[in-house]
Amino acid sequence: MQIGRRQFMAGAASMAFLGSVSRAGAQSTTLSAPWMGWPEEQVTPLMEAFEKATGIKVSAERLPIAELFKTLEVRLQARNELPDVYLVDGPLTASYAARGHLLDLDEMLSGDKDRFVPTTLVQGTYDEKLYAMPLGTSSQLLFYNKKLFAEAGLPEPSSDPEKRMTWEELLPIAQKLTKPDISQFGFAFENTNPYQLLPIPQSWGAEVLGPDGLTATGYVDSDETVAAMSWYQDLFQKHKVGPVGTFQTGVTQEMFGSGKLAMVIGGTWNLVGFEKFEDLDFGVAPHPYFAAGKPVTSTGSWHVGINPRTAHMEESKAFVKWLSTRDAMDLWFNLRKYPPALKEIWEERATTTFVDPAWEIVRYELANTATPRPATPGYREYEDFLKTAMQDIQTGADVKESLSRAAQNIDREMRKYR
Amino acid sequence: MDTPFRSPLALMLRYGLLSILAFMVVCPLAWLALASLRPQAEIFQPVSEFGWHTFIPSRLTLDNYRALWNGDFPLAVKNSVFVAFMTVVFGIVVNALAGFAFAAFDFRGKNLLFLLVIISFMMPFEAIVLPLYVMIRAFGWANSYQALIVPEIANGMVIFLFRQFFASIPRDFYEAARVDGASWLYIFTRIAMPLSWPTIATSGLMLFLAQWDSFFWPVVAASAPDYAVVQVAIARNINFEQNDWGGLFASTNIAILLGTIPFLLIQRFYVRTLISGGIK
Amino acid sequence: MISSRWTPYLFLAPALAGLLIFRLIPIVVAAGGSLTGVSLMGDMRFVGLENFEYLMTDPEFWSSLNITLLFNVIINPLQLAVAFGLALLVFRPLRGVWLYRTLLVLPMAVSTGISAVLFGLFLDGNLGPLNGFLEWIGIGAQPFHRSADQALYTLIGIATWKGAGYWMLFLLAGLYSIPSTVHEAAAIDGASAWQRFRHVTLPLMRKPMAFVLVADTAINFLFFAPVYILTSGGPSGSTSVLMFQAYRAAFTFSDIGRSLAVSTILLAIILVIVVLEFRLLRSPEERA
Repeated sequence: MQIGRRQFMAGAASMAFLGSVSRAGAQSTTLSAPWMGWPEEQVTPLMEAFEKATGIKVSAERLPIAELFKTLEVRLQARNELPDVYLVDGPLTASYAARGHLLDLDEMLSGDKDRFVPTTLVQGTYDEKLYAMPLGTSSQLLFYNKKLFAEAGLPEPSSDPEKRMTWEELLPIAQKLTKPDISQFGFAFENTNPYQLLPIPQSWGAEVLGPDGLTATGYVDSDETVAAMSWYQDLFQKHKVGPVGTFQTGVTQEMFGSGKLAMVIGGTWNLVGFEKFEDLDFGVAPHPYFAAGKPVTSTGSWHVGINPRTAHMEESKAFVKWLSTRDAMDLWFNLRKYPPALKEIWEERATTTFVDPAWEIVRYELANTATPRPATPGYREYEDFLKTAMQDIQTGADVKESLSRAAQNIDREMRKYR
Repeated sequence: MDTPFRSPLALMLRYGLLSILAFMVVCPLAWLALASLRPQAEIFQPVSEFGWHTFIPSRLTLDNYRALWNGDFPLAVKNSVFVAFMTVVFGIVVNALAGFAFAAFDFRGKNLLFLLVIISFMMPFEAIVLPLYVMIRAFGWANSYQALIVPEIANGMVIFLFRQFFASIPRDFYEAARVDGASWLYIFTRIAMPLSWPTIATSGLMLFLAQWDSFFWPVVAASAPDYAVVQVAIARNINFEQNDWGGLFASTNIAILLGTIPFLLIQRFYVRTLISGGIK
Repeated sequence: MISSRWTPYLFLAPALAGLLIFRLIPIVVAAGGSLTGVSLMGDMRFVGLENFEYLMTDPEFWSSLNITLLFNVIINPLQLAVAFGLALLVFRPLRGVWLYRTLLVLPMAVSTGISAVLFGLFLDGNLGPLNGFLEWIGIGAQPFHRSADQALYTLIGIATWKGAGYWMLFLLAGLYSIPSTVHEAAAIDGASAWQRFRHVTLPLMRKPMAFVLVADTAINFLFFAPVYILTSGGPSGSTSVLMFQAYRAAFTFSDIGRSLAVSTILLAIILVIVVLEFRLLRSPEERA
C-alpha cells in the first residue's frame, strides 16, 4: 500500500502545519474569498470542513461568473488587503501575477508539486513559478444522443481513444442526424469560447499564439487557422448541421437535453448538467480530430490564489495548503465533479468512480492530448477578441477578415505587456 | 381632450390600443412566468414545435419555487427590501428639500449647483466604482448595510425630478404664505409637499427601483453572503458551466411581482391629487 | 428664524453633501484618472492628454461614437413619444385602467441585466418562442441580435420595452399636476380637443417632458448591460457603443486611463446634448 503511506505522510505533514497555524490565530479570523456562484450546497461544505480543521472561517462570496471577474478587478486594482484568497480562472493566472495580484506559492507547495497531474500545474504557473493552485481540471468529450443514433440506424461512436473519429468521419454522420423539418441538428460545439474552439485549429496543426505569448498576427490569422475555422463555419453555413447562434452553454445544453441536437462537444461539467433531463440517454466518445493532424483537447479549470497584500497571510496560506490535501480535494470532487488535479485521487478511485467510460476518456486525454490555453499575461484580451471573431464566423462573416481583425486588435492590446 | 373618448368607437379604440400594447409588454413576462412552472427538463420548446404548449406547461410544478424558498433567496429579498425601504425614506426627504430649494429660491451659485446635480448622474458608474470602493473601505463600511444605502440616498435624478415639479407650483403661493409669516420649512412641509403627491410617489418609486435593480455596486461593496441582494441572487443562476434556467425564471418572476407592489401602493396617489383639484 | 439668505443652502446641504462625497468627488477622481496611465504594477503616472490622443487615432473609438449617437438619436425621441402616448392613454378615468397601468409598468421591476438575459432566450433562434411564432404565422425566423443589421434595433426595442412604462409614470404625474380648471376654461372658449392638447396640455407638460428627455438621455448614453450580455459589441462591431469600449478598456484590457478617458468624453457629450434639450424645452418666459 504505497499510496496509503504517502497519503499518510502528506496528511501528517499538513496536519502539523495546520496545527501551528490554528494555535497562532486562536482568535477566530474570517477570510474573505470571492468564489464562483456555484450552488450553495457545493460551496459551504468545503468551507465548513476547513473551519472544522483549523477554526478559521471562510466567507465565500458566491458571485455570478462575469461579476466575479469584474469585482476582482475593482478590488485588486484598489490594491489593499481585500480579498484574502480568491478563485482564479486558470488562464488569468499570468494576468494577475504579472500585475502583482498573486502570491508566489512555490515555496509553500514545493513538496506537493509532484502530487499533481502535471498538465494541471501549467496554467497556474507564470514565469516558472506557481502562483495559483489548481482545484481540478477539465476535459472535452463528444456527447451523443443514443436514441437519435438508433433512429437513424447509425452505429454508436467508439469510446476508445485509440479509435477516435476524425472530423471527416463525423460530418456525414452529423448530416444524417440533421432534420430541418423538426429542427433537429446533427452537431455543435457547446459554446464559442476559445477554450472550446482552439482545438480545431490546433488539431489542424496551427499555432494559435506566437512563442513570445504576445504575437497574434501570423498565428490567429495564419492560413492553417483560417482553413480550420472555415471548416467550422461550413458546419453552420454550408452543411447546416449546426444550429447558428449557439454561443453559450446554457442554450446548447437545453437543445441536447431535449433531443434537438444529436452530438455536442462539451466539457466534463455537462456530465452533471445533463442529469436534469430524465428522458435523455446519452453516450460519450473522445474528441474527434482532423485526419491530417493530431488529436488535441482543451483543459484547465479553476485555481485558487492568495492576495499578497492580505492582512491574514498565515490563515490564507493555511487555506490553500489545506485545499491541497487529499481530504479536501476528495471532498471537492464529491461536491463538484471536476476531473481531479491530484494523482492520488485518480488512483484511489480508479476502480470505483473512474471505471465509467467518460472518466476513462478524460484520464487518457489529460495524459496524452490535453493542451492548455496559450500562456500569456494578455489572455483576457486574447480571449475577448477571439471569441467575438468565432461568433462572427459562426454567423457567416468572412473568416479571413474576422481573424485578421482579431489578430490586429490583440496585437494592439498586447503592446503594454512587452 | 374630453370629447374624442366619449363616443363608443373611441372607447373601443382606446381599449383595443391599450390591450395590444399591454399584450406586447406582458408577453415575454408571461412566457417567463409559465416557464418557471415547468419541470427543469422542458423549460424550452423548440422553435419548430410552436403551439399552445410553447406557453402552457404539460405538467405544472412548484419545484423551482420550492428550491428558491430553501436557498438563500429569502435572505436576499429581505436585504433588498430593507435597503430599498431605507433609501426611499431618507431619499425622499433629502432630495425633496434640495429640489424645493432649486425651484423656490434664487440664490448665488444656483445654476452652478444645479449643473453639478445634473452631472452627478452622467458619469458611467463603472468609472467611479473604484474611487467609491476605496472611499467605502476607508470608512470601514465594506460588507455593511451602510455601504449599500448611504451612497444611494442623495440622487441627482430625483432632485431634478422634484425641481421640475416644484417649479410648476406658482411662486405666489409661497410669497403669500411668507407674508402671513410662515417659515420656509412650514411652506415646504405644509404647502409644497402636500401639493406634490404624484411627484413624491414617483420619486419614491424611482429610489425603490434603483435599489431593487441594483447589481454591480452590491457585488463590489458588500458581497459577503449575509448581504446578498435580489439581483445578485438571481444572477447566480447564470453560470458558465451550467445554467439553472428554472431557478432564474422563478427568482426573476418573484422579483417582478414583489417589485411591482410599491407601484400598486402609489397608484392611488395619482388619483387623489386629481380629486383635490387645481393649484392655480 | 434663520435669515432667508441662508435658507436655500440649508435646504440643499444634505443632498449636496451626499452627492459631493459619493458622486462628484469620485467623478473628479475619475476625470483626473483619464490623464494618467497606470503601469501593470499599479504605479500611476501623469500622461497628459495621451489617452485622448490615442482615442482620436483609434478607428474603433470613432465607429463606437457613431453607433452611440445613432442609438441615441433614435431611442430618446422614441421613448419620449411612446411614454407620452401611453400616459395619455391611461390618464383619464376608464374602467380597468389601473390594470393596464400595472401591466405596462411591470418591466420596470426587471433589472436591465436580467431583461437582456430574458430577451436573449425569448428571441433565441433555436429555443425562443418569438421565432416559433414568427415561423408559425409565416414571417419566418429573424436573427435579431445575432445579425449586424438588426442587433442595434433589437437593443433599442428591448430598452424601450423596459423603459416606456417607467417614463410614462413621470408624464402621468405631470398630467395630473395640470389643474382640471385649465382644460375646462379652454373648453368653454370652444377650443377643439387637438387645440387644447397643442396649446394647453403640451406647454404645461414642458417641465415633466424636459425631465424625462434629460434623464432618459443620460441613461441611454450609459446603456450597457444588454450590449455586454447579448452581443459583446457584435455582430461585426455593430453594437459596440462607447460604454462598451469604456468597459472593455477597464475590465478586459486593464487600461484604466483609457477607460476613464472614454467615460469623460461620454460625460461631455451627454452634458452638451442635455443643455440643448433644456433649451429646446424652455418655456417662453425662460427664453426671455
